[in-house]
Amino acid sequence: MDRRDFIKTCGAIAVASFLDTKFFSEALASQEGFLKLYSKAILLKEDGTPLTEKDIAPHREYIFFYPFASTPCYLINLGDEVKGAQLKLNDGQTYLWKGGVGSKKSIVAYSAICSHQWSYPTKDYAFINYYPPDKPSETTKKAGVIQCCAHLTVFDPKAGGKVIEGPAEVPLASILLEEEGGKLYAVGVLGKDQFDAFFENYKTDLRKEYGSTAKAKELVDKCVVMEVGKYVKEIIRC
Amino acid sequence: MSRKSSGVSRRDLIKSAVGVSIFPTLAFTKGEAKRENAQVVIVGGGYGGVTTAKYLKKENPKLSVILIEQRHFFMSCPLSNHFLAGLMELTPLCFAYNVLEVKYGVKVINDKVIGIELDRKVVRTSQGYISYDFLVLSPGIDYDIEDKPFYAEALVYYPPAFKPGSEHIYLKKLLSEFEGGDIVITVPPPPYRCPPAPYERAALIASMIKRNKLKAHLYFIDANERPLINSEGFLSAYYDLYKDVATYVTSAQVKDVDVGKKVVKTSYGDFKFDIANIIPPMKAHSILESAGLLKKGEKWVSVNPLTFETQVENVFVIGDASMSYLPKSGYAAHSEGKVVAKLINAKLMGKEVKEELLQMVCYAMVDDREAIMTETSFKYEKDRGRFIPIHREDNQRKESTAKRYIEWAKGLWRDMFG
Repeated sequence: MDRRDFIKTCGAIAVASFLDTKFFSEALASQEGFLKLYSKAILLKEDGTPLTEKDIAPHREYIFFYPFASTPCYLINLGDEVKGAQLKLNDGQTYLWKGGVGSKKSIVAYSAICSHQWSYPTKDYAFINYYPPDKPSETTKKAGVIQCCAHLTVFDPKAGGKVIEGPAEVPLASILLEEEGGKLYAVGVLGKDQFDAFFENYKTDLRKEYGSTAKAKELVDKCVVMEVGKYVKEIIRC
Repeated sequence: MSRKSSGVSRRDLIKSAVGVSIFPTLAFTKGEAKRENAQVVIVGGGYGGVTTAKYLKKENPKLSVILIEQRHFFMSCPLSNHFLAGLMELTPLCFAYNVLEVKYGVKVINDKVIGIELDRKVVRTSQGYISYDFLVLSPGIDYDIEDKPFYAEALVYYPPAFKPGSEHIYLKKLLSEFEGGDIVITVPPPPYRCPPAPYERAALIASMIKRNKLKAHLYFIDANERPLINSEGFLSAYYDLYKDVATYVTSAQVKDVDVGKKVVKTSYGDFKFDIANIIPPMKAHSILESAGLLKKGEKWVSVNPLTFETQVENVFVIGDASMSYLPKSGYAAHSEGKVVAKLINAKLMGKEVKEELLQMVCYAMVDDREAIMTETSFKYEKDRGRFIPIHREDNQRKESTAKRYIEWAKGLWRDMFG
């Protein structure tokens, strides 16, 4: 962990401590290297007004871009309370995920970059998607999961994005959400994010999409949230 | 299309793919003394070798990692049937090995391995000896043609295209110039590199005949009684889509290939052809035999299936050359490379590594736009020392599966060269 990360981590914990003191006092001891604070960004509807809890229909899949202009995230209302969880990595390291937000604590957000080989939803295709309880995956038969169809890793959005099956070795990075006065904000990223690999592997695509790598890497302070089907031409399910 | 009704059921398929016997020991990383550094030599720059090299350096940049590969450029066999059938250019399949040197500090030596001396722990190339502490051998396959010399001539005129590179380019040239007549494709008995590949190739060439409205017929001559995997999906495609342009001949052994008269002689009769794709039986690369890792009569190297270590300590064989519970495929070699990289680094750190069973995902095109796929997980029956494959097949041909196929391959390449 370098100095910059440490400052970010401490900053994130300080901000997040307003939300759940107990969680973050525990987190302070164990989150080193896993928690990064980025610009606090308000979530907006497509019309530019603030997104509120009631705008997030249960079990629909919404997309927004955070913490960088080009890094996609999924926002899902899982319907019921989602409790915090401890995530364990293959090397034995652990970190705490605080669970859902909102009145029911049912709203979660994850980076939509697969932690295996970095498939992500583009304007053309989304190979990694959420499978609601009534629409299980045809291949794995699992429902209520996020699954990547390229190599069939299945992630659990109810447990901090942990890997249920498949080749991925680390969970999906989760996006820390904060609710303030009925408005929702993204404040940081928890877990092993894949941003370095993402920017390295998709240089050409990102330059084409955003004009330059620098623009793709711009930090955001507001995020427009929309249903994935509106952003992506073809959702590839499996 | 078939002279025999295959009538294969899912149960048959699972039965046919019963587990392989396990290597006598299941020893994992021993608690060795921690070491500052070591030299790892990797022979072969395919899916297994490249992945091992990258992940060794990624996890431990201090390690000295040398990759020896004759070619300057990697070419992917996965997706090469797309290239042969005119669905994709060659360039997306090619990557430069020097990326590994520039990005990760892997020393890449473009040279031929002439010998391996396990007792002295050295690898001999045309430029001299290279010593190693750990040796990872991922040299792939050779064609097993010694007892059937007619193959030697056949593969010069009608290349198998199961080794990446010029074989594919020449076969593509034959296919591109083909304006009509008979095409023959032969499939050997298993094990061979990538079980669904010949079946996919046959489907795509039949599809090409239809697409280009050629007055042509494909004779697809299989030594096996049905496709080795996804048989329901392949047979359905052959019967539904290509009945008028292709004949699937099953359980037919190739007896001779006369390239002068352009005839393939089989146990089911003779087949004249205008162009052919003769795929011979396969075995592990001959360098493994000369190294003493193959006993007389063995075609593939026995390894501890969970660690891919041979009976020689710190010498690993991964990819198509080894005999493990996994199929011979680029995806398997890639996964094995990660396991071995983890094991070597753990050994150096004096740590233990948890055993893990790998999972396979495999796609195949059945026409220009649609694909089928299989996912295989494995159960290990410790008391019987057997690995049981559990296939989840999707035999419904779909365009979305074909798109997943491309993303599957791109993901692997990102992981290896990104």
